[in-house]
Amino acid sequence: MLRPFFEWMYGIGVYKSSIYLGPGINLVHLVAMCTFMGALLMVDLRLLGTGLTGQPVKQVARSAQPWLIGGLVMLVVTGIPAVMTVATDEYQNPVFWFKMYVLLAAVIFTFTVRRRVASADETLVSPVWRKLVALVSIVLWMSVAAGGRLIMYL
Amino acid sequence: MWPPPFKGFFEWVATLPGSQYLREDAPNFFGMFLTIHVLSLCLFLGLVLMMDLRLLGLAHRDTPITQIQKRLFPWQLVGAIVMSISGLVLFYAQPVLYWGKGFYWIKMVLVMPLAMLNLLVFHFTTYRTVAEWDTSPKPPPAARLAGVLSIVLWVGVLAFGRLVAYDWWTIVETGLKGN
Repeated sequence: MLRPFFEWMYGIGVYKSSIYLGPGINLVHLVAMCTFMGALLMVDLRLLGTGLTGQPVKQVARSAQPWLIGGLVMLVVTGIPAVMTVATDEYQNPVFWFKMYVLLAAVIFTFTVRRRVASADETLVSPVWRKLVALVSIVLWMSVAAGGRLIMYL
Repeated sequence: MWPPPFKGFFEWVATLPGSQYLREDAPNFFGMFLTIHVLSLCLFLGLVLMMDLRLLGLAHRDTPITQIQKRLFPWQLVGAIVMSISGLVLFYAQPVLYWGKGFYWIKMVLVMPLAMLNLLVFHFTTYRTVAEWDTSPKPPPAARLAGVLSIVLWVGVLAFGRLVAYDWWTIVETGLKGN
């Protein structure tokens, strides 16, 4: 269904201007990934009852938030041209679609369930529920990262 | 300097038990260990960046620096250990490939040692006075400098590691693969 769209993206030839553009955008994508994952994991670790246990969950989540959002925005901004260069290959690659579906699930989960649990008063959320949310978050986002790495291998 | 030294050593590692097996008879091994390497990178460098941003006074200003240092350290260490082991296994499987990679040499003998040196210097000099600026939203210049150097050097390690995948500045030996 989306094939014409992927063929159109490929046709644009985003990296044609320079051979350094591809690796350059890839590096920014990875730095954005580390920033995003750092902001994500420090909150998830706190929800698991480890890491910054001296601070309330709410405070850790609040101070991580701009780096989480900023990292995600940079990931998307650099991810789109990365897909466009090899769009027709990606369209046929099951790992690419795995990554996209898990990414969609991860984004929805992060900005609904996880956001509510992380910003709620600690007395209102049971520790088991908090830990479960953190584990789901870690598994979802680590799967996205693993999918990204494995796109070219499977 | 180029071609790089110690080729005999790298060739000898390639003959050790398991090295040839991983290289030639375990097709899924390479992608799997690269993935482990990247996931542990997320844990290690992600938390290091959060700590550095606190040192710069750009993030987590409400959290005392000693809290960030002490409580994130065990998880940074977990990340660093998994990264080192997966990196060693990747190297063990294809030592001659990495011998011929200019970016691998820069990463391992220049940028990574500098990143570790910065970490040690900060810990044994500037960090000793942390009690005076623990809760300061903007730590003193020496601490901010350590934060900038840490970001630049560890991102450098990441960048040169990633660049190993490309064919630039590479001596190609037959029968090797790498990304």
